[in-house]
Amino acid sequence: MSETRGVLLPAYVLADESGSMSPYLEELSNGLVSLCEGLRAEPMVAAKLRLAVLGFSDDVQVRLAVADMRTESTLPQVRIRGLTSYKAVFEDLLHRIPADVQWLRGEGYKVHRPVVFLLSDGQPTDGGSWRGPHAALTDKAQTPTAPNIIACGIGDAQADTMLEVATRPEFAFVAKAGTDLGEAISEFFHSLTASLVASGHALNSANPHLVVNRPDQFTMAIDEV
Amino acid sequence: MNPNNGLMSAGAPNASDPPQPQPWQRITVGTPGPEFEALPPGQYDFDFPDTECDGWSTPELAMRFASVRGAKHRYYRQPRQDAARAAVHTATGSVVFAVADGVSSASNSEQGAVAACRAALERMLHLLDHAAGPVDLRDVACHAADRLRELTRWRLGGRDPEFSEVADLYATTLVAGMVRPHPEGPLVELCRIGDSGAWALDRSRGQYLPLFPTKTGTDVLLVSSTVTPLPHVPDPLEQTSRRLSSNDALMIGTDGFADPLGDGDGQVGSLFARHLAYPLPPLWLAHLLDFSRETFDDDRTLLTVWPTAPGGQR
Repeated sequence: MSETRGVLLPAYVLADESGSMSPYLEELSNGLVSLCEGLRAEPMVAAKLRLAVLGFSDDVQVRLAVADMRTESTLPQVRIRGLTSYKAVFEDLLHRIPADVQWLRGEGYKVHRPVVFLLSDGQPTDGGSWRGPHAALTDKAQTPTAPNIIACGIGDAQADTMLEVATRPEFAFVAKAGTDLGEAISEFFHSLTASLVASGHALNSANPHLVVNRPDQFTMAIDEV
Repeated sequence: MNPNNGLMSAGAPNASDPPQPQPWQRITVGTPGPEFEALPPGQYDFDFPDTECDGWSTPELAMRFASVRGAKHRYYRQPRQDAARAAVHTATGSVVFAVADGVSSASNSEQGAVAACRAALERMLHLLDHAAGPVDLRDVACHAADRLRELTRWRLGGRDPEFSEVADLYATTLVAGMVRPHPEGPLVELCRIGDSGAWALDRSRGQYLPLFPTKTGTDVLLVSSTVTPLPHVPDPLEQTSRRLSSNDALMIGTDGFADPLGDGDGQVGSLFARHLAYPLPPLWLAHLLDFSRETFDDDRTLLTVWPTAPGGQR
């Protein structure tokens, strides 16, 4: 293989578009705008990231395909619709992430372990059927490109569910009781931007590691179960 | 008196003036990174200049090194955290050297990198004074680790530091070693702690032979390397030796150079193979090393030793 063009961190934002998010559409849209603008303001960090935004409800729809945020000019547009199928999320990622990694490698890049930030305002409406694809996605023997998953729950999303979704207990967060959900969504995106910027620095060091900042208004889910 | 006289006459072109050299344009490789004026590092980082270089030759060997601050550190007001040092052991004509890459999570890694290089050189010179055989490179690495502990103890007012306290302040990678002149060709002895690289450059073919395993093989799907730097000294210590042919040049580089180099078969490899065919001016090595290529914004350090005789003349 010839020289590498760089080492990239593929980052996926999974935004809950189910009907219960309807009152918070503006905060969700503004949060995505602030994320994109925040990354554009850090061109050296953005150069080492590729960001995808996926909206999920009954299925997964691409709002922003794996993009270089230094040059990406379109803003992801979310659409409120349907229920909350976690199965759709993990089945989609199970195919999407290996394909994206392969594509980036084909473009001449090396790739860090991908990271998924999932924001959900409710319990999965598909029972436990999501656990199979989730297990396959996060099993590194089965899926060598298995991502790190950071799960943030607001509203009806429960702490133990977020703990099941996240790949490490310290990667699971829930909004504090009584928190304004619009505010919690904004904080999620602030924290997400900060985490990506910090990870962009830390992953290009002698001791590469993912940095995950707890959003304000959130607690670690492990403390809630 | 016209206050403008001096300035005007100095700046005005004159037909009889010799042609003025152009400032060096930054070398770009592929897509360049962002261009900007470097910001100063912290106010107490004045001992760690943006760029360092050095170069000299003995009758048998030529040495050059350069160390340049990466774009990330220039942008985010941090000092260069790489370091290199080299010296000649007078009695044997050996060139001893050390290259270090301070770990960014350590709060004073720029000091750790320089201290580790100094300690390694001092110890190698001392050992060469007292033994004709192979130098105990584990002793050298432990001496460098001890120096970091001493520095930490001093910072803590004399208290014995915990291992983690040393690492939190001064963690650094290190490649240390020497090239000894020998009738059958110069002999290289190296040790490594961390992920810096070493190569033998075949100057006639422009090919790079890694002397240590590379940190990410080309068949690895995801990058997942982690480094265990000084003050940890692994057991066994990673060591290697090689006799240089007259066509070879020894290269030691931090990951800021190793990562864009990759296997050496691309544009970066071609650029350096061309310019390192013979010993080059140290300032030009620094300029070369400061090439711009998007996403590669780490500090870069490269030290090269060429055989100069016989058969390896400049």
